[in-house]
Amino acid sequence: MIDFSIILAGFSDAFTLWNLVFVLFGVVVGHLVGAVPGIGPVMAMAIAIPFTFGFDTLPAIAFLVGVNKGGLVSGAVPAVLINTPGTPDAAATALDGYPLARQGKPLKATKMALFSSVTGDTFSDIVLITVSAPLAILALRMGPVEVLALMIFAFSVLSGLVGKSFLKGVIAATLGLLFATVGADPENYNPRLIFGHYELYDGLPLVSVAIGMLAMSEIIRRLSEIHGEVKSAVSVQDAGNRNDQRVTWKEYWSCRYTMLRGAGMGTILGALPGIGSTAAAFLSYSTTKALSTKPETFGKGNLQGIAAAESANSAVVGANLIPLLTLGIPGSVSAALIISAFMIHGIQPGPLLFQDQGRLIYGLFGTMIMANFLNLWVGQLGLRIWVKVVSAPESIIFSSAILLCIVGVGMATNGLFGVVVMLIFAVIGYLMTSAGLSVVIFIITFFLGSRFEISLSQSLALMNADITRIVGSTPSHWPC
Amino acid sequence: MSFRADRITGALIATFGGVLYLFIIPRFVDSSQSSWIRPDTIPLATSFVIVLCGAFLVFKPTAHSLQNLRGHFKAVLFFLLLALGLYAMSMFGFVYIAPLLALSLMLLIGERRLLWLGLGVIGVPFAIWLLVVRVLERSLP
Amino acid sequence: MKIANLISTTLFAMTLAFSPAQADDWKPSGPLKLQIGFGAGGSTDTMGRVIAKVMKEQTGWNVIAENKTGGGGVAMFTGIARMPAKGNVIGMGVNMPIMINIVKRGAELGFDLDSFDYLGTVAKAQLALIARADAPFDDLKGMVEYSKSNDGLAIGFGAPPQKLLMGVVGKQSGADFRFVATKGEAETHKLLLGGQVMAGFSAGTHVKYLESGDFKMIASANDSRHSYAPDTPTVREAGFDIYLDPYFYFATTAGTDAAAVEALTTALGNAIASDEVAEVVRNAATTEVLNLRPANTKKMLVDGIENVKVLFGS
Repeated sequence: MIDFSIILAGFSDAFTLWNLVFVLFGVVVGHLVGAVPGIGPVMAMAIAIPFTFGFDTLPAIAFLVGVNKGGLVSGAVPAVLINTPGTPDAAATALDGYPLARQGKPLKATKMALFSSVTGDTFSDIVLITVSAPLAILALRMGPVEVLALMIFAFSVLSGLVGKSFLKGVIAATLGLLFATVGADPENYNPRLIFGHYELYDGLPLVSVAIGMLAMSEIIRRLSEIHGEVKSAVSVQDAGNRNDQRVTWKEYWSCRYTMLRGAGMGTILGALPGIGSTAAAFLSYSTTKALSTKPETFGKGNLQGIAAAESANSAVVGANLIPLLTLGIPGSVSAALIISAFMIHGIQPGPLLFQDQGRLIYGLFGTMIMANFLNLWVGQLGLRIWVKVVSAPESIIFSSAILLCIVGVGMATNGLFGVVVMLIFAVIGYLMTSAGLSVVIFIITFFLGSRFEISLSQSLALMNADITRIVGSTPSHWPC
Repeated sequence: MSFRADRITGALIATFGGVLYLFIIPRFVDSSQSSWIRPDTIPLATSFVIVLCGAFLVFKPTAHSLQNLRGHFKAVLFFLLLALGLYAMSMFGFVYIAPLLALSLMLLIGERRLLWLGLGVIGVPFAIWLLVVRVLERSLP
Repeated sequence: MKIANLISTTLFAMTLAFSPAQADDWKPSGPLKLQIGFGAGGSTDTMGRVIAKVMKEQTGWNVIAENKTGGGGVAMFTGIARMPAKGNVIGMGVNMPIMINIVKRGAELGFDLDSFDYLGTVAKAQLALIARADAPFDDLKGMVEYSKSNDGLAIGFGAPPQKLLMGVVGKQSGADFRFVATKGEAETHKLLLGGQVMAGFSAGTHVKYLESGDFKMIASANDSRHSYAPDTPTVREAGFDIYLDPYFYFATTAGTDAAAVEALTTALGNAIASDEVAEVVRNAATTEVLNLRPANTKKMLVDGIENVKVLFGS
């Protein structure tokens, strides 16, 4: 057990004006950068790391935590306002957020996203601070077989998103799985379907596929539908009810169970390394829709839909730190980037982190709480600015968004190759949407595909079975 | 008219799956390795499902129809413009091509107001350059 | 080892001190890109970024660190091999994936060992075979016996060479190893801690778990014993004539102007010799700085190819 004085010392390190400045700075940077189409929270963090070289350890981590949390909230902004999500979990928010924004209530939609995001995040932070150790042990018990079962469950709830034709849902899901097999196979690392492009060795770049299919194809669709007069990208109802531009306490409170459920799902999935926020956001969304008495209102601007998606995907981020801080295992790219910052500042993460660096960890906890409050505050301000920006004519918003997607993907993949992949997937996304095939389902199975394959392989290894006897014609055994 | 869209989609998808299953996967995916799950198992299985579902869609199409042919034509135009822009960027770099790309995009959308055109063509690319090259010290594509 | 390292570093620092202004003769024409063959957030990335930063401070050049992922450096070195040799790019990779790809699909690759001018190394990773602390064996021999008398033994591996190495051990001893693929060291640790696998590979991050009593070390997979565990024998000492020596190394396009290569080597060497880099190497890779310098870096790769052929059993 950690000495109480260490906890106090940690918190007092966190709640200093100096530290506050760094968190605030981080949150502001996160809000600015995370909302730019094509960049998003993880890239914002990766870009920010070199700037922390010169800082002390706690301010450096505080800054990164701020960037991460700020970026996470504002990542939903382009998804809600112009339906161009940069990540699949923001796509879940867009399902109801964008229709609401289209009804002339962009501020209401983004504010609901902000409030439920901060709620989910705070929930998982509290879980992290209080009961991370037992939860980490639970996560360890979830072996490959259990993870595989969870993936199959996640695929099955996708049917809640399918819409009119089940057959088309299956096609979209299967296509996603198929594209996920591009790149090295999980056991022998031999490249598959890369056609000599070694850039694809580790698979199709996720950023390119997500931004191409979700953001770029939507931008092109919107552009091709413009006739005659150039309008604002988003319209705010001026004359309407004041309540149309804010979230009332009654509305927030009516979503409490939705947010609690979303936060709970996000926390559990986040504690499990490697699954990520996409599954959490869609699981939460589908369950909320299934449990609702009015499922037909979903996809048409239901606040519950926004709350479900945002509370879950934000809860994942705090919970990703559970395996990191208790066991030394990063659960996501952003957690790995926090590790990287630790290492640059001379701290090696591992199972003894709490013992060796208790004061720093509690400082980090204090910082996270602080960041949540600042996020709420900066977020309110930031959303107003973004809604103003997006009220500019469509011509400038969409042409700038295209340039930013090119630059963002180019930076994330370090070169034009990733941008070309993005354009190809924009075409694929456009074709799929035109044919009535869901790109969202495609993206989810695409994101989960490689984890699904490796979990299958791990499960077979542990159960000493051989599926190739069933699927392939020539059985192969190890060692051959 | 309304039933044709799904039939075409189904046929295209089934063909895509079939070509993958019969020609591409056997050639570009290694199957000789010893492992718990062979490298070609999932590609073959998924492409097989795609053939089945595509064929099924041809025979049981939904009421989905392709609307707005003019919109699709415009979309093709935008995609071609972007492809051309990327090709030019690989030759001359972002700094020179981005303003031209923005200009042609905005003109195609129908923007004629000089102020907005100026902002989109000069302001935005300059801001991006400032952020990426000056502030972040990274290179543009 | 440590002392030799120290001496070489000191000697190197002295030669630098007495050969003034050499690096001043040549300067990169634009920004100097330090390309890292792995994704953001890993140990290679962390070391690469610090090296880039120190180089920038020491030389005043605009050094930019970039991640170029794809096959553990294969995509990055393919790109570097194709570039005009202007000395404005340095690739940082790990030898194993490069050598394995050269041996396995040399004809299809866009490069071979002669496509590059080598600049040095920063460290040799200490790769360990580890097991859960409660595993009923303490050495490789015991592990082999256990796998035979029980229903096989599950080993987590995060990279192909590890599987190849244990494949050779399995072949020579008749052990029944079941290989469980993971997405890297972190996942291997998770499976070990969760009890799903009994043994696994780790290149440094396990040291904290040795301290905490969760894991024990079965063998060093390197050619030599590890600095933190001088009593644990190597796989070779356990009777299997095989080893893995993963080096983090640097190279640029072949045919780069000799003065440029010289300047890059010197700048990189100075950065690697700094305290800051030493610290990050200790934190990210749990090992000491080791710069083989250009000639020995190339020799390491040439000799390594022969070793990889042994791994493939040819």
